[in-house]
Amino acid sequence: MAAEAKKKVINRLKSMYPLRGKVNETYLKSVEAMRAGKPTVWAMLNFYYGDPIIKAMDLEVVYPENYGAAMAAMGVAQSYLERADAEGFPTHLCGYSRANLGYTSRMMKELKGEIPPEAPLGGMPKPIFLMASTAVCDARYKWFQALGRYMDVPVWTFEAPIPGVKELFMEGSYERMVDLGVKHGREFVAFVERVLGKKMDWDRLSETVDLMIEINELWHETNELRKEKPCPMHGRDFWSSMSPALFLMGDLKDSLQCFRNMYDEVKYRVDNHIGAIPEEKYRLLFAELPPWHSLGFFDRLAERGWNFVIESFGYHPPIPLDLSGFSDPLERLTRFSLQVYVAYYKDALEENVPAGSFAYPYLKYAREWKCDGAFLHPLISCRSASTHLPYVSNVLMERLKVPSLTIEGDIVDLRLFDPEDAISKAEPFEETMEHYRSIRRQEGLDW
Amino acid sequence: MIDKNEGLRKAKDIYANRAHRVKELKAEGNKIVGYPCMYVPVEIITALDLIAYRTYGDMAEPVTEADRALPTAFCPIMRSCLDCALKAKDGFLDGIVATHSCDPQEKTARVWESYIDYSYFHFIDIPGTLRPEALEYYKGQINDFKKALESFAGKEVSPEKIKAAIELHNRQRALVRELYELTKPEPPLISGTEILQVIKSLMSLPVVEGNELLGQVISDAKERTDGPQQKPARLLVWSSTLDTLDIMRIFEAGANVVVDESCGGIRAYRADVKLTDDPLDGLTDYYVTEITCARTFREAVFGEARKDYMADLESRFGYLKEMAKEWNANGAIFLLVRYCDPFAFEMPGLKDYFESFGIPSTYIEYDYTQGSLAPLRTRVEAFLETIG
Repeated sequence: MAAEAKKKVINRLKSMYPLRGKVNETYLKSVEAMRAGKPTVWAMLNFYYGDPIIKAMDLEVVYPENYGAAMAAMGVAQSYLERADAEGFPTHLCGYSRANLGYTSRMMKELKGEIPPEAPLGGMPKPIFLMASTAVCDARYKWFQALGRYMDVPVWTFEAPIPGVKELFMEGSYERMVDLGVKHGREFVAFVERVLGKKMDWDRLSETVDLMIEINELWHETNELRKEKPCPMHGRDFWSSMSPALFLMGDLKDSLQCFRNMYDEVKYRVDNHIGAIPEEKYRLLFAELPPWHSLGFFDRLAERGWNFVIESFGYHPPIPLDLSGFSDPLERLTRFSLQVYVAYYKDALEENVPAGSFAYPYLKYAREWKCDGAFLHPLISCRSASTHLPYVSNVLMERLKVPSLTIEGDIVDLRLFDPEDAISKAEPFEETMEHYRSIRRQEGLDW
Repeated sequence: MIDKNEGLRKAKDIYANRAHRVKELKAEGNKIVGYPCMYVPVEIITALDLIAYRTYGDMAEPVTEADRALPTAFCPIMRSCLDCALKAKDGFLDGIVATHSCDPQEKTARVWESYIDYSYFHFIDIPGTLRPEALEYYKGQINDFKKALESFAGKEVSPEKIKAAIELHNRQRALVRELYELTKPEPPLISGTEILQVIKSLMSLPVVEGNELLGQVISDAKERTDGPQQKPARLLVWSSTLDTLDIMRIFEAGANVVVDESCGGIRAYRADVKLTDDPLDGLTDYYVTEITCARTFREAVFGEARKDYMADLESRFGYLKEMAKEWNANGAIFLLVRYCDPFAFEMPGLKDYFESFGIPSTYIEYDYTQGSLAPLRTRVEAFLETIG
């Protein structure tokens, strides 16, 4: 009974459940598609560039990164990690990639293409092609290239340019990025047409892009509501709901309605001063990916009055941009995708933070969401999500007097995260947050 | 008395005190521009009468300052580079050009720019693929680099001056290839250790002085009678960066390193920049297409609809097979710096490929610390025993 009560410390949004359900639904649909002889694609998180195109071509798509998190959360990743090690892949590679390489090796070498029976959520069927991305890290295209060892499946690597902050404002720089994205998108469409032997329905692509934009605008507005005190939506609901917006999982029209419902529920809470936890003592920022295998530790922190009010910029929707003037869906898509990184660059330049995407957003978030502290979670096997965290910690302290708590862990390997250690550090960090509250007030900051 | 090994001795001295010459040049009023990766088009720096200086890490220097800026589980070479910069070991630099050659370079660039206030700092984005639209984008990036550097230098550079700089650097590339010809005989006329000293020296000198040094070294090596001893193994080494003599000496204790395909070896010199009407076209093609770093996504056929594993390996590593044949290597070491993802993902496939043409290979990992040398020596000795 007591354990039951503890589970309810975080007041989860009812509107979250249908969105969370879309993840499971996606994997099951991909298996159904395989059984029905329909093609499936494996894709990296590509920050929108390629997803609407795949979606408009009526392909079922699964995301090995996301599936790696699911395997970790369900406790079945370990045997695949060990298999990848035995195949000769270095153990310090991305945990998601090692789990997937092990999974694919087992599926293709041992089971001749059959889905491993122990695979959760029905497993991932052999794809017709792999869509990689250069965004964020090298692993996300080198990993798919390495899968060639097990599967005769082609790889498309999507370009995701990332200029320097001041360099973006050199004459013509942004438009050249748009040009690259549009041309590259057109080549990708031609590739998919060639692989599938059917033509793109451009009206459908246009509609898909618009739905993606609308979903993400609503999702953005919902997260803006989290600036309220008390914060009406906890980070756990964010992580549970992000996939249909970020990966476009599930039917987009249905997702749009789900996000509308979520906006309404969060707005209702704002209007009625209902917080996501009973007593919000501390407002926390979380960076980067959470320990998927140990999400329950958020509940234990919630018991102490820790409300997680904002998360990693890369998983949040881009800052909305008026794209109605662009008739080419590929151009709308490209500009929308670029917005993930470059939306923060102008402010970053003004505030002299050269890490315009990976560090600057946290400065903005801590200020606007009135955070008392930052919970930084460097991931041993996901260096791209960790590299900038010491810098983020320094910037938050120097500019805003917001302290950080750094707890190392991993996205897949549960041995590398110790929730008890994290909890044991909570009390001293509360004292630190209290201390810096008074420092901020002395320095004229308003929270 | 004529010093028969003057060039080799000079290279050894420069290796030991790399910054000596650029400091002299700075004192004479020259500006020194650092670059931590070979993907920076140094021809543009030369064309603007600036001195390009390759920044390296220092394996002998424990990382202390970079701990406040980068996590420990991160490319140890970039950590060391940043550490050296934070300790002002390259404090004579007027500016830095960083690139998106890999994710650690890209992320470190942001931190580097934040923590150290150079008069000039520029970041060049590099596409991941060789597709035509990606090359077009990259050309825009190097044009931006040119403009920013012109602004820093306080003058414009003409296409003719860039072409002249390309010719100078191509001359250097040709000379380095000539240098590597000297490792083809058995025994080689020059050791891998000596070549590493020469290559690091080249990256510490103005291109003209580097070319003079190469001429001397080649001449010395051809004339000398005290060249390397023949060892049972002739090794091809493949790595991201091999910049430390300690490692090369471990290899050469039991083998002749006849070709080193890394940033400290032949990689930057294997091909020439084409002389095109618009010199930026030649530079674009060279820096994205010709440099064979694992960071670039290569495929047998653009947008192929079905992948053939061996054809794929051939398209990515065929040049290594050619090199192994040309230098008559009988073993290959793939030296992996810990946390280097682009190279780490290649390991099983590259081993498959070398097996396909019968050259034994091994991959050995190290973490760019002195402490990693002992286990590295054990691994190397064990491998050499299998092929000796």
